Amino acid sequence: MKMLFLLSWRNLWRNKRRSVVVISSIAIGIFAMMLSMGVMNGFNIQMVENTISTSLGHVAVHARGFQDNMKLEYRFTPGPEIYRAIKERKDIRAYTPRLKVQGMIQSSETSRGVLIVGIDPAQEKTVSKMYEYTSRENGSAFLESPDSGGILISRAMADTLNVLAGDKVVLMIQDSKNNIIGTGFLVTGIFQTPVASLDKYIVFVGLKKLQAVTAVGEGISEINIITDDKDRVESVARFLAAANGDPSLEILTWKEMAPNLVSAIKLFDSMMVIFFMIIFITVIFSVANTLIMAIMERFHEIGVMKCIGTSPWRIFVLIIFEAVNLGAVGLMAGVSAGAGLIWLLSINGIDFSFYMESMRIWGSGSVIYPRIRLYDISMAAMVVFTTTLTAALYPAVKAARIKPLDALHYV
Amino acid sequence: MVIIRTTKLHKDYESNGIVVRAIRGIDMTVEQGEFSAIAGPSGSGKTTLLNIIGGLDSPTAGSVFVGGEDLRNLSARELSLMRLRSIGFIFQAYNLIPVLSAMENVEYILLLQGMGKGERRERSAKVLESVGLKNEMYRLPKELSGGQQQRVAVARAIVSEPHIVLADEPTANLDQKTGAALLDMMHRLNKDLGITFLFSTHDPMVMERSERLIHLVDGMVAADEKKKAAAKKTSGKKEAVQKAVKGKNRR
Repeated sequence: MKMLFLLSWRNLWRNKRRSVVVISSIAIGIFAMMLSMGVMNGFNIQMVENTISTSLGHVAVHARGFQDNMKLEYRFTPGPEIYRAIKERKDIRAYTPRLKVQGMIQSSETSRGVLIVGIDPAQEKTVSKMYEYTSRENGSAFLESPDSGGILISRAMADTLNVLAGDKVVLMIQDSKNNIIGTGFLVTGIFQTPVASLDKYIVFVGLKKLQAVTAVGEGISEINIITDDKDRVESVARFLAAANGDPSLEILTWKEMAPNLVSAIKLFDSMMVIFFMIIFITVIFSVANTLIMAIMERFHEIGVMKCIGTSPWRIFVLIIFEAVNLGAVGLMAGVSAGAGLIWLLSINGIDFSFYMESMRIWGSGSVIYPRIRLYDISMAAMVVFTTTLTAALYPAVKAARIKPLDALHYV
Repeated sequence: MVIIRTTKLHKDYESNGIVVRAIRGIDMTVEQGEFSAIAGPSGSGKTTLLNIIGGLDSPTAGSVFVGGEDLRNLSARELSLMRLRSIGFIFQAYNLIPVLSAMENVEYILLLQGMGKGERRERSAKVLESVGLKNEMYRLPKELSGGQQQRVAVARAIVSEPHIVLADEPTANLDQKTGAALLDMMHRLNKDLGITFLFSTHDPMVMERSERLIHLVDGMVAADEKKKAAAKKTSGKKEAVQKAVKGKNRR
């Protein structure tokens, strides 16, 4: 086998120009595959991370029915068991209670429907990135306490309402007794998240203030939980569901709370598969074409090899080795170039701000940091070897079936 | 002892709807250790006969026995094994593997036979040295002259100590001096190792130096001229050749 491998390696370089062209086509295919995979990975990861870090969290405890209908009636007052269970899990990094109410925000100029989220500012900082997304300029600041009379609104909302930090707005809320209450809030902070859809309809106020306004006592809409590792989410959710003694509560993971996000990722993955298939169908034909040409050129030589006792199986293996060599060299070149560029791009990211609005709709932010995993490189290797082997099959069988005498007469 | 025997051998080709009768009823035997040549004009059937004996072609009718084995009974794989273990081939155009050095070309046969690296190297070097290529072992075929390439081809043909070497016009591409040196070398190997050499040729020098000359005309043996008794010169170690050939081919 060693000699056959050596022979195949040297055969590869007999027609350098042709081999270089094929290797380049494989390398460019791999490079394009890795780059698009890297950007798509970065996009997907950022989309998920941003959504988790702004609103969803990893796991949430809700009153049953709240996920489908975010009304005040689906609130609950958490008992000690659920907090005890949360504290028991070492892989839960942080948690925070939230109260969510639908209402209307009104400025002197206009009004908008919003989701009002009551937060405990100190605990919220440990769970979400809203603190980081809140501007520190022009008098803007994060909420100070759960009972403050301040409100955080997005930059988009501020523009719509034509208000600045320090201005007053009125929130119209239906309280627990179904009375419409209008309460004035001082705009303390302006935020901008990478998730455009969130910015358009969400505002934050102090939890205790909102509980007081809506007269829900200690009632909350959810306990939002962040785990150490996204892979621990299912395990944490299962544990909390088992520990939860209240049947009116449900424990949901981020995937259950945002099925559209999961579907979007699946859709992107499917698009990638189609893209890769197109690339590798091209590679299959170029490798097969090269090998067939190489075999035709060496028809006589293969015949001689068979004359002197080389078995058809060995001829088959020789051609397969040639394909493997082509694939391996192309793979190495493509992976080196792809991984190198992805590493460079991952430092500062790719700024898609010219495309920003459409990117922000997906929640990925406008700067994408491409990421490549070992799994992706293994996938690329598997795809290349499967492709080149598939491409080599026909030429290898053809070579193995060469009749020595026909080949000897062939010049 | 007979190593090659053909009985009522016929070979017809069809070319553009016309049947060409390349071999027409050849009955012949070749003794172990002979240094023989099949001579005749172009189209007389020399190469076809050699190809049939080497198991590269099959007869239309009749039988070929190599080492007592009827080639009709061998599968393609067994024929391939027979060529690998019992027959050495020398071609007119040398036909070395261009990407392998002289040493690797010779070694290739032993490698196919499954011989270990050390023994393979040692034996290949020894054979190349015996054909006068001690200093050219690591050169590629393109770095060798025609005569040197044909010597490598001879080394490749004999390195596995086959019972028979079939040489198709081995001197056709060589000048007379180189051709004569090559023949001397093959003659020496015939004497020393008892290898049976069977040439196809129309080179007068080969005809003159071979110990038996089989003249073919229109696919038939026109004359069979034995100049010397080749069989007597075979070495003792080749006595059980027939048995060995059979055994080799079946393994």
